[in-house]
Amino acid sequence: MDDDDLIAAIAGGDDAALRELFARHAPWLAARLRSVLPAAEVEDVLQESFLAVWRGARGYRPEGSPGGWLWGITRRQAALWRRRRGPADLPLASLPGHGGQPAGDPAEAAVARAELADAVRALGPEGSTAQQVWRLMYIEDRSVAEVAGLMGIPEGTVKSRAYRVRQLLRAVLVQPVRDGGGR
Amino acid sequence: MKVSQDMTGDRDDVPVPGQPQWPRDVDLHRVWLGVAAEVWRRRPGIVERLAGRTLRSPGLARVLVTTPSLLIGWVIASAVVLAAGVFATLETGMPLVALLAPAVAAAGVAYAYGPGIDPAWELSQSMAVSDRMVLLVRVVAVFALNAALGVAASAASGTAAAVTFGWLVPMTAVSALALAAATVTRSASAGVAAGLAAWAITVLLAHSASGQLITAVASSVLVAPYLAVAAACTAVVWFATTRIHKESHER
Amino acid sequence: MNVEISDVTRRFGRTHAVAGVSLATGPGVFGLLGPNGAGKTTLLRMMATLIPPSSGRVRLLGRDPAGYGPRREIRRRLGYLPQNLGYYPGFTVAEFVEYFALLKEMDPGRVPQAVATAIERVDLGDRARAKLRTMSGGMLRRTGIAQAIVNEPELLLLDEPTAGLDPEQRVAFRALLRGLGERATVIVSTHLVEDVGAACSEVALMDAGKIVFRGTPDELIARGEGSGAAGDAPLERGYSAVLAAARSAAAVA
Repeated sequence: MDDDDLIAAIAGGDDAALRELFARHAPWLAARLRSVLPAAEVEDVLQESFLAVWRGARGYRPEGSPGGWLWGITRRQAALWRRRRGPADLPLASLPGHGGQPAGDPAEAAVARAELADAVRALGPEGSTAQQVWRLMYIEDRSVAEVAGLMGIPEGTVKSRAYRVRQLLRAVLVQPVRDGGGR
Repeated sequence: MKVSQDMTGDRDDVPVPGQPQWPRDVDLHRVWLGVAAEVWRRRPGIVERLAGRTLRSPGLARVLVTTPSLLIGWVIASAVVLAAGVFATLETGMPLVALLAPAVAAAGVAYAYGPGIDPAWELSQSMAVSDRMVLLVRVVAVFALNAALGVAASAASGTAAAVTFGWLVPMTAVSALALAAATVTRSASAGVAAGLAAWAITVLLAHSASGQLITAVASSVLVAPYLAVAAACTAVVWFATTRIHKESHER
Repeated sequence: MNVEISDVTRRFGRTHAVAGVSLATGPGVFGLLGPNGAGKTTLLRMMATLIPPSSGRVRLLGRDPAGYGPRREIRRRLGYLPQNLGYYPGFTVAEFVEYFALLKEMDPGRVPQAVATAIERVDLGDRARAKLRTMSGGMLRRTGIAQAIVNEPELLLLDEPTAGLDPEQRVAFRALLRGLGERATVIVSTHLVEDVGAACSEVALMDAGKIVFRGTPDELIARGEGSGAAGDAPLERGYSAVLAAARSAAAVA
């Protein structure tokens, strides 16, 4: 059964389908959460998330991606969990205001960072052109001219590569990546 | 991929193709157990919760609401039989409700509990909630319900006050007999058969002795014998459920 | 010591099902072997507090089961799987396990977690809400094992637990036994000799109501070596050798 069928079954009350969905997806969800949360919290958040899946499976639309839907639920549960625990617990630094963006909810931000990190990894191996462009333009916040000079390529090429990086990231953030690809 | 002890990361894991390894310090098995506990749990109904508080034992409450002869189908069947008795009484003027009520109760009691009806009987005998307690609670509940149905049916059929409750004592005797037979023979149907047969014989004997069908439930002379039978059968059930008498059929 | 039995007999009419058995054991997995009619089931029933002994002393979990109060305390910490366990066809696996958890007077708040744990331990997690009437014999047996372990018993008594289990399930079952035997006393009665040997730290062999051998599985194997006894496997040969010796001794006596 593919993920869409499993979720439909769960909506119909099939707990064995929930078990199968857990077996398939809990590992990567745990890995992603673990990059920003301590192990004990990962366990609690994951438990709440799958209970939310059990209760809310009816709200799933098959045109969406199952992985994305699951991650969305998990993110929300993580944020809820953090909010309940109080900001004093938070061991992470909140996101710095980057390019004028407000810091926002640190919990949401921390979890979004994990998501982004995964997506960036999907751009390609370290040292590839896409990773380089990403690092220079968006992390180090250099101008197009600077990047062109550093990489030894024309500005037009830099712009088109930056465009491709944005496209890749957008695609990957909508459909979360797991090694080996989704089902 | 199994959701099992595989996921506590304490075995040498062969990476499953297509899956990243999960973080070693996250106990996914424990997470699943937490989810399963919530998803698989049964939420008791209001009757069971009240019974649990009254009896101070959730186990007894659970046992009570799973009594075979308290299941809705059985209750409806009993009500239907008595309703038929009501109509017949209104039609013919004969006190059929009074004669039916003990029989209906006897059937219910025979099917309340015991080796005749509980497939897991041997296991039940090893439980902290003792099987005698279970028997007591179920039998009392079934009896009370049938008595209530009987009273309602009697009132509905407009019979004389004397007859309205006259069946209560015979009902006790016949039910006790049915229970004793069911327990001793380890068969609920044997219990029902014994109870019904005994009651039919009693009614007919009383009828032939006095010329009136109603005698079995209306004669005050019979009260003492009925109570004696009830007491004797209760003693039989008590002894049959003592630990000493439990036989093994295989060794 | 979780089980202390001294010189216990049990009569039914004129037959002695158990004719003088003494046993004392602590945590670990203990195998009870013997042919049909040897008295294993009766002995197990006495340990499960179903029947009292005709004579002799029984102490379970440090208590005397003759009294109502201590007996109840023992039963709360007991797990029992009878040889023939009936099922309620309309119940689901989870309902069945929960039913007996409640009858063992477990704290209701802890019951859901305990039920889930027990069901996953016997590998019925994908069938937790399936009705028992839809299950095979092996699955029913595993359901029975689940109800026996749901209260994390200190004394676990299993009568022919592997009936209907396929070889892979038996392997899993032995692993389960070993895990349980770390803290509890597990007594497994079976006539499948090789089944038991792999998981037990100690075995006893019963014949005609008496214990005719007690020792480790290796010691039982040693009894079978060179004796020319029947059997395809080492434990079986030991088993046959001991039985033959016991019966010839009894015939002479």
